[in-house]
Amino acid sequence: MTTQPPPPPPWVLDLNSPRASKPKNVNIADPPGYTAAASSKQRSQSSKNAVRKAPSPEEMDTLKMKKAWELAIAPAKQLPMNAIGMYMTGNTLQIFSIFMVFTLFKTPVLAVLNIQRVFAPFETSGTSGRLIAVKAVCVLMNLLMLGLGIWKVNQMGLLPTTRSDWLAWEGERTWSERAVPREWL
Amino acid sequence: MRFHAAAVLAVCLAPAFAIFEDDAYHIDFHHPLLGLPKHDGTFFQKPYAASKASLLYALTDDHAIGVINPKDGSLVWRQVPSLGRNGTGLLRAGENQDTVISALGDHVTAWSGSDGRIVWETGIDGATVEDLEILEQEDGISNAEAKDAVILLSNQSVKRLDGKTGRVKWAYQDTRQSCSGDTPFQISTSPMAIFYISLHKSKLRVTSLSPITGKKLDQYTLSAESDIHSPENILFAGANTAAPLLAWIDKSNKVLKVNIIGTKSVSNFDIPAKGTLERITLRASNRINPLVHFLVEYQTTTGHSAEVYHVDPTKHTIIKAYSLPELGSKGTFTTSTSDANVYFTRITAEEVTVVSSVSHEILGRWPIKTSPALAGAYPIHGVSEVVVKAGTASAVRSAILFSNGQWVLIRNGEVVWERPEFLSSAISAVWAELPEEETLAHELEVEGHQNVLAAYVHRVKRHIRDLEYLPTWLQNIPNRILGNLFGKSLDFTIEEIQHDTFGFHKMVILATTNGRLAALDVGSKGKLLWNINLGSYAPETTTPKPFLKAFRGYVEVKDKGLEGTLYINSTTGEILSSQDISHRSLAVPEGQKLISFDLVDGELKGYIGVEFGSESVWTFTPPAGEKIVGYSVRPTKDPVASIGKVLGDRRVLYKYLNPNLVLVTTALESARTASFYLLDSASGEILHAVSHTDVDVSRPIPSTISENWFSYSLTIDSTSTAPSRGYQLVVAELFESPIPDDRGPLGASSNSSTVQPTVANGDVAKPYVLSQTYHIPEEISHMTVTRTKQGITSRELLVTLPFSNSIVGIPRHVIDPRRPIGRDPTSQEASEGLTKYTPFISFDPKWHLNHKYEVRGVKQVITTESGLESTSLVFAYGFDIFGTRVAPSFAFDILGKGFNKVQMLITVAALFAGVLFVAPLVIYFRNNIPYKTARLRHAGWKKANKFTLDNTIIEPVRG
Repeated sequence: MTTQPPPPPPWVLDLNSPRASKPKNVNIADPPGYTAAASSKQRSQSSKNAVRKAPSPEEMDTLKMKKAWELAIAPAKQLPMNAIGMYMTGNTLQIFSIFMVFTLFKTPVLAVLNIQRVFAPFETSGTSGRLIAVKAVCVLMNLLMLGLGIWKVNQMGLLPTTRSDWLAWEGERTWSERAVPREWL
Repeated sequence: MRFHAAAVLAVCLAPAFAIFEDDAYHIDFHHPLLGLPKHDGTFFQKPYAASKASLLYALTDDHAIGVINPKDGSLVWRQVPSLGRNGTGLLRAGENQDTVISALGDHVTAWSGSDGRIVWETGIDGATVEDLEILEQEDGISNAEAKDAVILLSNQSVKRLDGKTGRVKWAYQDTRQSCSGDTPFQISTSPMAIFYISLHKSKLRVTSLSPITGKKLDQYTLSAESDIHSPENILFAGANTAAPLLAWIDKSNKVLKVNIIGTKSVSNFDIPAKGTLERITLRASNRINPLVHFLVEYQTTTGHSAEVYHVDPTKHTIIKAYSLPELGSKGTFTTSTSDANVYFTRITAEEVTVVSSVSHEILGRWPIKTSPALAGAYPIHGVSEVVVKAGTASAVRSAILFSNGQWVLIRNGEVVWERPEFLSSAISAVWAELPEEETLAHELEVEGHQNVLAAYVHRVKRHIRDLEYLPTWLQNIPNRILGNLFGKSLDFTIEEIQHDTFGFHKMVILATTNGRLAALDVGSKGKLLWNINLGSYAPETTTPKPFLKAFRGYVEVKDKGLEGTLYINSTTGEILSSQDISHRSLAVPEGQKLISFDLVDGELKGYIGVEFGSESVWTFTPPAGEKIVGYSVRPTKDPVASIGKVLGDRRVLYKYLNPNLVLVTTALESARTASFYLLDSASGEILHAVSHTDVDVSRPIPSTISENWFSYSLTIDSTSTAPSRGYQLVVAELFESPIPDDRGPLGASSNSSTVQPTVANGDVAKPYVLSQTYHIPEEISHMTVTRTKQGITSRELLVTLPFSNSIVGIPRHVIDPRRPIGRDPTSQEASEGLTKYTPFISFDPKWHLNHKYEVRGVKQVITTESGLESTSLVFAYGFDIFGTRVAPSFAFDILGKGFNKVQMLITVAALFAGVLFVAPLVIYFRNNIPYKTARLRHAGWKKANKFTLDNTIIEPVRG
């Protein structure tokens, strides 16, 4: 196409050139709900007026710890729900139960692998010591999830825990004598 | 393992094992046999007077009566007498009759000629039938309705039986003192009288009787000058001719003496003195109308010749008409009649010639086309039908018994069909192992013993060597594909059998009681591959019950009547000298001590090694009075896939797997008990013993043993007061311990010895035996177990039912001794496939392997593995020959016949064509659609611009 590109639509022009500020001497009231954009000066002023006291590092750490604990406990909250789900799917080998069991294994393992990254935002010089316990609890919770998965797999009969699972590795006895009828010789 | 349980459950929930309809007649074959036909009981006959075509009737050495369609050799009907019926079998048919009459022992039976139904049957008390004739004419008039039969009994009485009902019309009994020592020989009828011929102290006594009243008309004796001592000395006693003849030979084999029955004169003829005479046969037509011409056949060791004589019935003279020249090969003559003319057909292995009885001019001559079935054989006897038009024989068909046991129909020199009737006397059989497989096995073995690198080099070399077969293999591809798609031809050569992928083409080597050895291809409908006479390799010996043993490439034949052993090449049937045999593989692997046992003087004795002269290491003597009836042994090749049985709760019951198990059956006739002893044949130790009372020990007690279970069948005495009677099937299973997950006293030790048990174990570990008894509707005469390559497929108990002439495969889970008794199975037991015990097992019609075939007289059923794990090959012999293949757990490793390969190919082709068609479309759209949308968007912009020009706020069209 060699034709000229079309001129930009009017709204693009509108957007690019902000509407001129309201004429100062107009007595028309602003419509309800309209707030005139404050000038940068005004804005800086208002922020100065409403200045909040910045939290102290200790407070920040407490907050971060709180958040970290929440994250660590989260898997445990899912546990009853998952347990019920697992119980309801039954012990037969079906595509759905297999998928569910797979996710049951996948999530805790991934969570444990990502543990550093997940708790990195909460990592400060103050919290680093206390975070170890949080991480430990997090791992524990994930292990609980994993345990649920193992329990489920066991229920499905996929764990080689019985004698029959190792039967193929057991050999027939060798007999030191072999007797045959005479006519076979 | 849950999965195992699920698989087992799936197997059990699936319908019980059956032959699929589309497999029947394809995977199985059946040779309904008759036995070797007897010369005087074989004839062409119309099944009823108005019939256009005639059938071939035959009475055989096995006393079976069979009717063959001469067109294709198929069996129309047959009647096989039950075992134990002895005596001279006789079969006669009257002209234009719709019945044939047979006599065997003390029974005379009339059969419907077209379908073999019994028309009437008469039993004779206290005597056996010696001869049987049909009364063709009475006072010169032929009876149009049912013709009566005249029988001669061993107590010297003659009876006339009504042809419609079998009732006795009259009876003649020679009660005079002087006749008491006579041997009844034969009866002969003429239009005027019935002649009763008996042997009276080397004289022939002829009594003529009135056909109407049975009164004695005349009696005279023919002086035979001490030529005749027994019925065998008499050459011929003519039946049903206008002038019945009596012929015999003098002691020095020089003079033929012929007497026309009813006259006292004896005509003497010189026998041509050429070569050593082996056999002289007189052949005359047994029809009533034709000219009385007869032929005397002389068989010498080198050739045969014949002389034709004419009888003048009015003058009672016999004149020699002409003689047929001697031929230097073996052959035979047959007589046939057409109207009043008599024709003689001379059959040799090379050609068929027809002459008229009137002159020696040859009316027709046909060379016999060579057939592999007749290689090296010569005709023994036969019957012929001749069509003569304008003085020349236009067609002749002859049913000939050849010396190799084949019964062949030759029509105008062409072999139309052949029936391997000699196979009816099969006594032992073995699955042959082919030689070529061995080379591969050997190479694989070499590779197995080398280190990885050397083995790899060896394999690459082997594959390069195999490349030389590539061009032929490529050439065969089109044929193979077509064969796969549209069904294969049934002609297989030995090479094809060797390269059979599925291993269905196994050969069976059969030995018969009359000393023949034959090979059949079970995979191609039991085709006869070769057939040899063992007597030719080992003259002067008889092989009544040869024991066969298959080795790679050859088969070993042993017999008590045979000195040493014979080695026969299993692919060609040629004899091998013992030098040709490379190695003899003993059944015992290395590192095991060989113990052999045998039944000696009613005791089972075990010996160390192969020498039997040495002292026995153990002896099993059955308790007082009991007699060992038989014993069953675990087969040498009995692979076991799993050494334990997985229970529903995933625990394991360990199987008691001892290769040396022997189940000995003993019977005590006086107490009517049968006992079973399970022995360890290495030590002679009794592992288990059970005794059954009220057993009819005269009936067969078959038993079999496989893996860790054995079974046997009994007939409970019908006279006993036992609460249950009938036929019982007992199945017992052996476990190492009754407790799951326990390996019994031997523990986990990997090797064990029953001869020298370790101190810790103390005594020999005895198995824990679980057994259950079932009532079955029928007697079992033989039982065996299917075999597969690795033993993964569940087994099936194959039982032979002699009364219904069938072979039934009972699935293993039906006769599992762990079936819960008196309660429903728990869910765990149900997951194992166990069902509630039922005391009665009815043989499901679906279990019958023979479906519509009537497999008669099966003595033994042998099974072997095929190339596929799912399938076991079955072969039954005895009288009939039957072969099939069974898949007890269904054919899980092969596509069934229901799989339509053509349809699959068409579907693939259609999909491919669809892809070819759709691909350009897809490419077109993929390339053009973004452009189109772009254009559309462009149009949208334009539109939007147009609207904004009017200062109206409209959302632009977004592509």
